[in-house]
Amino acid sequence: MSKHIIKAIVEKDIRATFSSKKIWVPMFILVILLCMIVPAIIAYCGLYTGVFNNPAEDIEKPINSVIQSFPDEAMREKLAALPTLGSKFVYYFMNFMLIPFFLMVTIINSMVIASNSFAGEKERNTLETLLFAPVSIKELFVAKVIAAFIPTIALTFGAFIVNILVLNFISYSIIRELLFLNVTWLLLMFWVIPALVLFNIILSVLVSAKVKSFQEAQQFGGIMVLPIVGIIISQASGLFFLSSLILFLIGVGLLLGNILLLKWVTVFNSRNNLFESQIH
Amino acid sequence: MNLIEVSNVDKAFNDKKILNNVSFTVKEGSINGLLGPNGAGKTTMIRLLNGVIHPTGGEINVMGYDPQKNGDEIRRRAGIITESAALYHDMTAWENLSFFARIYGAYDVKRIDYLLQQFNMVQHKDELVGTFSTGMKKRISLAKALLHKPRLLFLDEPTNGLDPEGIKEVIQYLGQINQEEKVTILICSHVLHQLETICDSFLFLSKGRLIEKGTRLELEDKYLSQVYVVIETGLQLEGNTFMEFAFRRIGPNRLEFCLPSKDEIPVLLTRILQVSWVHSCEITNRSLESLYFKIKGDSNEQTHH
Repeated sequence: MSKHIIKAIVEKDIRATFSSKKIWVPMFILVILLCMIVPAIIAYCGLYTGVFNNPAEDIEKPINSVIQSFPDEAMREKLAALPTLGSKFVYYFMNFMLIPFFLMVTIINSMVIASNSFAGEKERNTLETLLFAPVSIKELFVAKVIAAFIPTIALTFGAFIVNILVLNFISYSIIRELLFLNVTWLLLMFWVIPALVLFNIILSVLVSAKVKSFQEAQQFGGIMVLPIVGIIISQASGLFFLSSLILFLIGVGLLLGNILLLKWVTVFNSRNNLFESQIH
Repeated sequence: MNLIEVSNVDKAFNDKKILNNVSFTVKEGSINGLLGPNGAGKTTMIRLLNGVIHPTGGEINVMGYDPQKNGDEIRRRAGIITESAALYHDMTAWENLSFFARIYGAYDVKRIDYLLQQFNMVQHKDELVGTFSTGMKKRISLAKALLHKPRLLFLDEPTNGLDPEGIKEVIQYLGQINQEEKVTILICSHVLHQLETICDSFLFLSKGRLIEKGTRLELEDKYLSQVYVVIETGLQLEGNTFMEFAFRRIGPNRLEFCLPSKDEIPVLLTRILQVSWVHSCEITNRSLESLYFKIKGDSNEQTHH
């Protein structure tokens, strides 16, 4: 594998991603809205207004019972010690309910970029030009995966850093603990999300190399978002908590999946069958 | 030395035969025309030679490599312009050329500058390729194909979509590249008269079969059983034969003679010059197109018998 070739394709692809408004605008909107604005509003309303403090009794009761039966002891004590229901909610939201937001946004963003990788080249007839060049199929796939990985991760990490600054600024005076700088979040950001993004990108790139158009690639990709939606629902209803151990194991599982997928990609995609199936 | 050797190559897609027992060779330094109607298998042949698809049977050798096993070695040494393969429209001419130069491991600013100058595109180098006319895109494609100083250049319908001026330019560039950079060229086309002046030898494909091959001279010797010559002369004649050659008057000072071979031309001219003047003499039935129809007609007869 040639580093120069991979670097050239990665740079070209990243430039293409950010020169196409239909790709980067929705990505930024999604990140800013779900990972920055929503938590900031929730934190502000929960801590400085009474919006969450005077709920009907039938809402307060189950929330308190969830707190009492919380599996993590340190967390339970911290929740119980917080003064208002609003601050309890904010603390709970920032530590648990925001996680699936990050997962979902990162998954969707990586999918949008990766769906465009082969399908976009094909729609513009440049895939043929690349296949006629001395670029190995492995180099092409690796470059495509890296080119989707870098902007997605950069965007997610960017949102994470903004959250650390903004939300701690909003909430530290009341909660008295730095949010996001704990094992769960750090494990999520630097272990699970990279592995998940990689898994999703390899899958999307593979789909993108097999289908006929960008739209088709995105539709296939949609199927992959469903499990995440499932986690959100179960998370919100308190059935399933993402503990550090579970997060770690999810990361391990995804990495194993990545290795298998990559092997599969190189076995089933020769230049010959890529060309015969994609170029007419 | 042969740069391309193809022997008994077959290619089928889903049981449909696209190429059938094709064999030919291409000499180093030559310009070759691969001719035939749409659907004859020309593009498939180019793809096989580049190793992007594999033959169903037969053997191919390009610059000493088997395209099926060492395709990247061939692609590294060959340049290609195909009808559908495109440049990146959202990148400038310069960005396109530097991207492909890096892909071919031949990034050299001087070379890119030189090619932009050669193809008269220096003033457009910072414009998006998407805004270019077909002719301008074709010139950038040619520059792209030559970035890495290839030994061999494949062109699939290089003049499609170009205006007459553009066609003339491309043909002229190809001749120039062949002379200056010693590049061996294989051109696929169905527009025969454009290649007439530039190609050293021709390959005729029809329905996946190679029906004839050879230099212009060889093909003329084989297929021109009669030569039609239009002579501009003051010769005044009665009847319809002169020196046993049939003729007809096609203008006040123009006579068309039908001769059994080209060798008779000097004999005829010497005789005419003894009694009158001659201003021009032109063979009218040697165009590539008329040869092509003759060859195609003959091959059809063979398949019918």
